[in-house]
Amino acid sequence: MAILKDIAAIAKGMSITFGEMFKPTQVENYPDGPGPFKGAKFQERFRGAHVLQRDENGLEKCVACFLCAAACPSNCIYIEAAENTEEHRVSGAERYAKVYDIDYNRCIFCGYCVEACPTDAITHGHGFELASFNASNLVYRKEQMLAPQPAHLGANSIFNQAEVEGGTPSLPAQGA
Amino acid sequence: MADVNITVDGKAVKTPAGTLLIEACKSVGIEVPSFCYYPNLSLQGACRMCLVKVEKMPKLQTACTTVVAEGMIVTTDSDEIRQARKGMVELLLGNHPLDCPVCDAGGECELQDMTFSYGAAESKYIEPKNHREEQQWSPVVFFDRPRCILCYRCVRVCNEGMDVAALGVQNRGVSSIIAPNNEDHLECEECGMCIDICPVGALTSGSYRYKTRPWEMNHVGTVCTHCGDGCKTTLGVRRADTGMEIVRGDNRDKSGINNDFLCIKGRYAFDFANHQDRLTQPLIRKNGQLTPATWEEAFELIGKKFSAIREKDGGQAIGVIGSNHTTNEENYLLQKFARVVLGSNNIDHHRTADFPAFAAALRGRANATASMRDVYNAPAVLLIGNDPTEKHPLLAWQIRSNVRLHRSRLYVVNSQPIKLRRQAAGFQLIPAGAEGAFAAFLAGEDAALASLGGSKDGWTALRDKLKTEENLVIVFGSELREGDITALVKFGSAVPGAKFLALADYANSRGAADMGLYPDLLPGYLPVAEAGKFHQEWGGIPSAPGLSLPEMAESAKAGKLKALYVVGANPIARFGIDPFVFSKSFVVVQDMFLTETAVIADVVLPAANAYEKSGSVTNTSGDLQLVKKAGEVTGTKGDFEMIVRIADAMGFDVRQLVPFGRGTRADMGQTRGAQSGEADRHAVWLEANGLELKMSPFDPMAILDEIQRLVPGYNISRLALLSGNDQQTNFAASGPAVAQKPELIVPAADGLFRSGTLGRYSHTLHSVMENKDRQPSEEVAAD
Amino acid sequence: MADLVSHSDEVKIVSRRFGQGAANLDRYLELDGYKAVQKALSMQPDDIINLVKNSGLRGRGGAGFSTGMKWSFVPKTAPKPKYVLCNGDESEPGTCKDRLIFEHDPHSVIEGVMIAALAVGSQAGYIYIRGEYRYLSNIMQKAIADAYARGFIGKNIFGSGRDLEIYWHGGAGAYEVGEESALMESLEGKRGIPRIRPPFPAVVGLWGGPTVINNAETLASVPHILLGGAEWYAGLGTPKNGGTRLFCLSGNLNKPGVYELPMGYNLKKMIEEVGGGIANGRKLKAVVPGGSSTPVLLPNEIDVAMDFDSVAKAGSMLGSGGVVVLDDTTCMVKFALRTIKFYQHESCGWCIPCREGTDWLKKTLTRFHHGAGQKKDIDNIQYLAENMLGRTFCPLGDAAAMPTIAFVKKFRQEFEDHLDGKPCPYEKNVAEPALA
Repeated sequence: MAILKDIAAIAKGMSITFGEMFKPTQVENYPDGPGPFKGAKFQERFRGAHVLQRDENGLEKCVACFLCAAACPSNCIYIEAAENTEEHRVSGAERYAKVYDIDYNRCIFCGYCVEACPTDAITHGHGFELASFNASNLVYRKEQMLAPQPAHLGANSIFNQAEVEGGTPSLPAQGA
Repeated sequence: MADVNITVDGKAVKTPAGTLLIEACKSVGIEVPSFCYYPNLSLQGACRMCLVKVEKMPKLQTACTTVVAEGMIVTTDSDEIRQARKGMVELLLGNHPLDCPVCDAGGECELQDMTFSYGAAESKYIEPKNHREEQQWSPVVFFDRPRCILCYRCVRVCNEGMDVAALGVQNRGVSSIIAPNNEDHLECEECGMCIDICPVGALTSGSYRYKTRPWEMNHVGTVCTHCGDGCKTTLGVRRADTGMEIVRGDNRDKSGINNDFLCIKGRYAFDFANHQDRLTQPLIRKNGQLTPATWEEAFELIGKKFSAIREKDGGQAIGVIGSNHTTNEENYLLQKFARVVLGSNNIDHHRTADFPAFAAALRGRANATASMRDVYNAPAVLLIGNDPTEKHPLLAWQIRSNVRLHRSRLYVVNSQPIKLRRQAAGFQLIPAGAEGAFAAFLAGEDAALASLGGSKDGWTALRDKLKTEENLVIVFGSELREGDITALVKFGSAVPGAKFLALADYANSRGAADMGLYPDLLPGYLPVAEAGKFHQEWGGIPSAPGLSLPEMAESAKAGKLKALYVVGANPIARFGIDPFVFSKSFVVVQDMFLTETAVIADVVLPAANAYEKSGSVTNTSGDLQLVKKAGEVTGTKGDFEMIVRIADAMGFDVRQLVPFGRGTRADMGQTRGAQSGEADRHAVWLEANGLELKMSPFDPMAILDEIQRLVPGYNISRLALLSGNDQQTNFAASGPAVAQKPELIVPAADGLFRSGTLGRYSHTLHSVMENKDRQPSEEVAAD
Repeated sequence: MADLVSHSDEVKIVSRRFGQGAANLDRYLELDGYKAVQKALSMQPDDIINLVKNSGLRGRGGAGFSTGMKWSFVPKTAPKPKYVLCNGDESEPGTCKDRLIFEHDPHSVIEGVMIAALAVGSQAGYIYIRGEYRYLSNIMQKAIADAYARGFIGKNIFGSGRDLEIYWHGGAGAYEVGEESALMESLEGKRGIPRIRPPFPAVVGLWGGPTVINNAETLASVPHILLGGAEWYAGLGTPKNGGTRLFCLSGNLNKPGVYELPMGYNLKKMIEEVGGGIANGRKLKAVVPGGSSTPVLLPNEIDVAMDFDSVAKAGSMLGSGGVVVLDDTTCMVKFALRTIKFYQHESCGWCIPCREGTDWLKKTLTRFHHGAGQKKDIDNIQYLAENMLGRTFCPLGDAAAMPTIAFVKKFRQEFEDHLDGKPCPYEKNVAEPALA
């Protein structure tokens, strides 16, 4: 009887094994998967590295109102504003952010900046591979966070579309 | 006037008869909102925000036009009133563009505040808003028409406050717009009062617009460094690559002697600090070229040279020229350095008024100097010489406001038909140079009439009239010197309560004179020869008068002056001295820019300006005020620190120079209070009561202790000073001054849009002048 | 020039010289001209004021303030010169009475100004005529020149030893200047914007001097009161509403025109008998009793005596006497829009509620009338008007708000008929472009 017991036990065990073999896999194939996220999948609401959006004309949505900086609980956003001119138009309104830095050493990804933004210029992307050996690399500049030009206007030379969806910067890490 | 009792929201209020209801409410802490009401401007009743319920009146009343009456019962908050105010805000927002994120006023906008208070966030209209394009009216004034709520404050402050009338109203009804009276541009004094007073972001400043937001700046209350009036200004500073950049100047908190007034220079001309030509590292002449060097090299070289010359040729071989822009502490320290460390009385500065003669004339007469506040309150003002509108904008503002609001009488005697004659009860044109004769005539010398012109009766009538004016404030320009001032004071002694005000041209001209930047006078106008407390305190100082500025040039030419130490001055350009006379002397210059004097120097030290340091300054009327560090340009040092470092490099025990430490030595680095918008109250109290150790030799407060102790007239309340108030220094104990050389007084060639070296490097002043087609005169340079 | 109309119920006092060529000075003298002022010269100033007070004469401009009372407020002695102003800036839609006085009887206005000047001790008078009345200005100027030529005005009038200068001044086309203090601003050469009161004109008026300002019709009535006596004049009207006034009947009437009727004349009678009833046999829909600023009355509300107090009791105002009669073909929304357009155009822009309120009312009503209205707009229109009412700097805002509120309250159904993109039920074609 003992042998039957053993066989039953093996069968029970193997049934789980074989059962699982034909179920779709639950494990994400990160970091060997395809795409900019290397197989990682996110909920829509996931708050990753910020993306500065553009409007339909390819102009930056950010008007340098400083409300994100004011809302930021960790004081990690630094902005310098400048005025748009006819010859040099960067944003749709009167002024634009000449400098827009986010210090990811301090950012806590709370999303208050996104809430505060009156023009929906700053959003959380899904970029998450932010670790660095050098803290100064964690101060992201505007160019690193800016969305690409809409396709019909020509792509941003620094970025490609896939990377922006991922929200990760493609600039080589300084000092790395 | 008798007091009136009223009841506001159940509170009993006692207030003088004639008070406006809105002010009566404010006096008990009940704020009645308004856009168009502005203290000291004419009443409008246009914005209808201040509607309140006055019992026994059927309709809501405007608190800004209602005068309190005995027994009035007022309600300032009820459903009806809130609804009325909400309705007004709704109507305003109907056409107001909701571009707060880019608007300069965002964050300090009265319309935003009202919307938050009365909640009119929901728009009831779906029709398009009326839109007009933004206009530029002048290099510094932009007008964004849709944001305008037509409170007419700008029009009134321009007409009434400034007496310029550059703004008006065009069209009617909903098409009404504020517009320049001169087609599409302003012909005005560019004071920016219209921008400052605008409750919304309709009028924006060319220098500040779209640069930052109010809450992103630090706000530092300090004193303007341009003319001699000493306006309080709040500088908005923000971080920049080169330190702290000043981006805005205003006096919105209405502190200080100037209330909210500032002229173009105070409001915009701080931009010289960030001029690209600003020196940011020491320069040493090597092989005939000024080459960058380290501070240590520079101080070592200067120390070595100065020591060697002092040992070999004595102190009289070294000349020192001080500045009209540096603080009292720096000026005091500089003359102490010259006399104690260098052993030389060869110290001078660019004189713009005969303060020694003034001090001598007023010696022993208490309360005889008028402060800027007195000019605003005096029942009558006599103005002799000068053109305050151009050279002393605050003084002109005070006079205008006094005449307008207090119906005071202004008498003007001038060789030019100056603009203030429009406010004058009496204006007398005299030949150029006859101001002294007028003073003599006032003092009773009828013979002086010959050079005045006009009828004898007219002049006598004026003199008789002036004699009857009680508490007359007599303001005179640098045209009056020596005996003229004595004569004027003689006349004034016959007028009960008469006070005097001598006009000098630069931010701290009075301070430089008071602090003894004279070859023959110690601080407080004490003659150098007179043995006194300074000799006791400082030990042996030379008692023979030193060389004046032109004499130093002569001496250098003769090869006797071996070294020249120039702090924040440009004597070569200002006095037209041949630069080659100093070719054999060792010249050290502390300045912001490579001026005509700096280019001939052997060592140039990059100096901080008055917006970048702490200390105190005395304006032309003797009001002592505190300056606080606002901006910072990396690579510069304050003159105070540099003087101390040079003394140290000469091997002098700096404790003898700056009474700091009391045995403790700890370098606190930067001067305290830097970059803090608000005073550290505890520290202020300790400091004011002398309880805090001055642990740094670079602490100007340590020298201020000595100034207060030794300089007559400067023993004012330290607490009041540190709290940001102005304090009138007292001339009565000064002197006795010795005879001065009036020919050394050279008035600055500044005007409304000119400010010596500072003006030369101000982008805003240049753009305004170019716009006005007035040429910035390159040859006119000053310290 | 319009034809004159008449009716048997008329009591011709102010209009007694109409159509008789009294603009000619000789003809005017034949018709008892300048007798009243000569009588006034023999009277004490206080007696003149009391006479006018007792006559019950109330201001014909709209507010209905007692004229004698107004004069009595002027201080006897003043450091600055006193002035008498005749407000001939008649601009209220529906009102056209002063026009006839200036055209047919200009000297009566001059005489009225003279009597007022004698009563308050002034030596200068201004007759301010609406800018659009250019042809009347010519008549008035000639009348003044004629009076000067005879020595009636100027130095030593009628040999009495007194001096009195009278000037003519034309407006520049602003309804707002009909407001007394705005008129003074205009006379001083400034923007026509009302002043803050107090101080009232009787104390600080034109050029800072004490000033009497009266409507042209009021002043033209004064000579008749002086000649006829206070009791006679008071007896013509109802208690506290002395005399007669010129009613300007206009709109869908068979016999529109200006009629002089006693104060307190029944409105219904005025429309049906004096005005000859509704034109083309249509039905009466609404009556605006006192110029466009007054709230509209429904047919069941018009059995009312036309004096200041009775009309106020009926929920409207006697105003300036411009009775506008509307028949049942009128679209009340359009009428409201037309009224508001006027006020939007004429608002001086000084205060927020009037400047912005009239503009938004116009925008909303324009859209509404062209079929793009929403249900909440009806409430919004009323809400907007209520926010203006009683909160503006001068009565112009009230003048725009009051009728608007009345239109919405009394004709709400008609507003609702315009909803849901339906075309105006009263018009097949919309004449004006949408959202103009």
